[in-house]
Amino acid sequence: MTRVAIERLTKRFDDTLAVDALDLEIGDHEFVSLLGPSGCGKTTTLRCIAGFEEPTSGRIAFDGVDVVDRFPEERNIGMVFQNYALFPHMTVRENLAFGLEMRGVASAEIERRTRRALEVVQLGDFGHRYPRQLSGGQQQRVALARAIVIEPAILLLDEPLANLDAKLREEMRFFIRGLQQEVGITTVYVTHDQGEAMVMSDRIVVMFEGVADQIGPPQEIYNRPATRRVASFIGQSNFVAAEVVAREDPDHVRLTTPLGPMRARFSGETPPGAKFDLVLRPEAVAVTDDAGGDNTFRGRLEERYFLGNQLACRLRTEDGELMSLVAPPWLAAEVGAELVGHFAADRTWLVAR
Amino acid sequence: MSTATRPARAGAWLLAAPALGLLTAFLVLPYLNMVVMSFRTPSTSNVFAPGFTIANYVDVLGDEDLYYLKILWETLSLGFVTTLICLVLGFPLAYHLARSRSRWSALLYAFVLSPLLVGVVVRCYGWIIILANNEGLINSSLRQLGWIETYIPLMYNWVGVTIGLVHIFLPFMILPITAAIQSIDPRLEEAARSLGASRLTAIRRTVLPLAVPGIQAGSILVFVLTISSYVIPVLLGGFNVVLMPTLVVQQLLDAMLWPFGAALAFVLAIAGTVVVWLYLVLTNRLIRGVTG
Repeated sequence: MTRVAIERLTKRFDDTLAVDALDLEIGDHEFVSLLGPSGCGKTTTLRCIAGFEEPTSGRIAFDGVDVVDRFPEERNIGMVFQNYALFPHMTVRENLAFGLEMRGVASAEIERRTRRALEVVQLGDFGHRYPRQLSGGQQQRVALARAIVIEPAILLLDEPLANLDAKLREEMRFFIRGLQQEVGITTVYVTHDQGEAMVMSDRIVVMFEGVADQIGPPQEIYNRPATRRVASFIGQSNFVAAEVVAREDPDHVRLTTPLGPMRARFSGETPPGAKFDLVLRPEAVAVTDDAGGDNTFRGRLEERYFLGNQLACRLRTEDGELMSLVAPPWLAAEVGAELVGHFAADRTWLVAR
Repeated sequence: MSTATRPARAGAWLLAAPALGLLTAFLVLPYLNMVVMSFRTPSTSNVFAPGFTIANYVDVLGDEDLYYLKILWETLSLGFVTTLICLVLGFPLAYHLARSRSRWSALLYAFVLSPLLVGVVVRCYGWIIILANNEGLINSSLRQLGWIETYIPLMYNWVGVTIGLVHIFLPFMILPITAAIQSIDPRLEEAARSLGASRLTAIRRTVLPLAVPGIQAGSILVFVLTISSYVIPVLLGGFNVVLMPTLVVQQLLDAMLWPFGAALAFVLAIAGTVVVWLYLVLTNRLIRGVTG
């Protein structure tokens, strides 16, 4: 329905730079998450798209039309707030009807669309209730219905699941993603929860201190992080200091590391002398008997935690580093045992140090 | 459960006892005394004569020219007008005070409270300097500019009294509304705007209905203070503006007709209570979803 183009978006509050020259293209029907720690500028970016913050500089266009000078009410957006912001003095039906009233929709049509939207969020019988008579999850769905009933050009969600309990949060991820696919609406989703972003998004924008370190699909963000802070923010990572010795082929390089010579997958630029960190995901490291193979290192088992389907382990390597790895739950080694860790070159990546 | 709460409730009564005692001694008892007084027989040589009568009320309500009822109506009207002007002037200011994050808002607070910092008589003389009919600041300026020949009557009439009352009672309207608006989530206005409402419509449809408790409190304060005000109507209204409190004071202090003055005061109190009750009944419908 709508493409969003953000060019060099910058927002400064007094002395702090909240968003620093962000470039982002969002395609039709696309679900894009803005992910990052609190204070990274993700909410500010969303509020600039909505029109609640005025960018210091830069351009925001919907379908090629610059909207920076438009008021929020002129942008045809649907927004879901973290605390839902339901109108407490209106019933659920009146909450949903509000946006349609503002658009001058006829009352019979309002009735029809309101009822349909309530059915979509499975709250068909709740139209006459007031928000305070609903549970948190139900309020969340009302907020969602209120945002989509006006058939907006863009759906904006500001941490909508943050106030729900863990189980409901898990369910709502799939619900919102399913709804977005069904309605086919361009969506921008702000969250600090990487799990949410992974499950729901077509692409993720990982932001730190106002800068988008990486923009890409979840697999790419996880498997080929662009920076060290992306790698450490998304999932768990072991970092091993590494220096590139030579390029083997377009996708692989030879390294020297404190753990010994290693092979790693990396297709990025490797200027001579550049220092890298080898990113090793715990689940990419396995315990092996083959001490002489490629990409192996020795260590003493220092911690082990039984998690049911797996055993989380920490090995102290010979040069004193702690390496996290995931072992099968039946691994019989006790704390203090000497183990050999191994990883496949294709499950690694390099980030600049 | 009930045995556990009983000592706590006794404690609460003990805590409330000093305030209750004070209220009984200095409010309830004098009020009852006044009610009794209003049924006593008037006397010219004493405070009252022996025996009880309803003649005082007959005199107030049954006067042939409806003199006292007319004064009562004018007093209540002044209350309505002053309250309405305070509401219209006060709401935008209260909204600004509640929502502003500017460093100047503390200064604005001080300005809002400033009418309460000066004694009522001093403030009235200040207004007299500005409003006086011949040599007042406004009239003399306009005359020097050549815009008027003689003067615009701004004092010793309803205009002057209303200006003075609005000035002093405005804070009583602004403060409760500010408190009410501060408790309203600003995200509600943003939600309304995201749904297509203009800034003013968003305020009208979300802030205004949710601020009704504050508007109720402010309006009742201003209304009750206005219909019982004495000093400002006397100083700024002179002999041309006669209100119920003026009459009551005349009866008590000048004519020494205590029973009749008490009856006048009681009629005013009843009328004021009825108006406030009606107002609450009507406005409570606006906040059906918020309370209860």
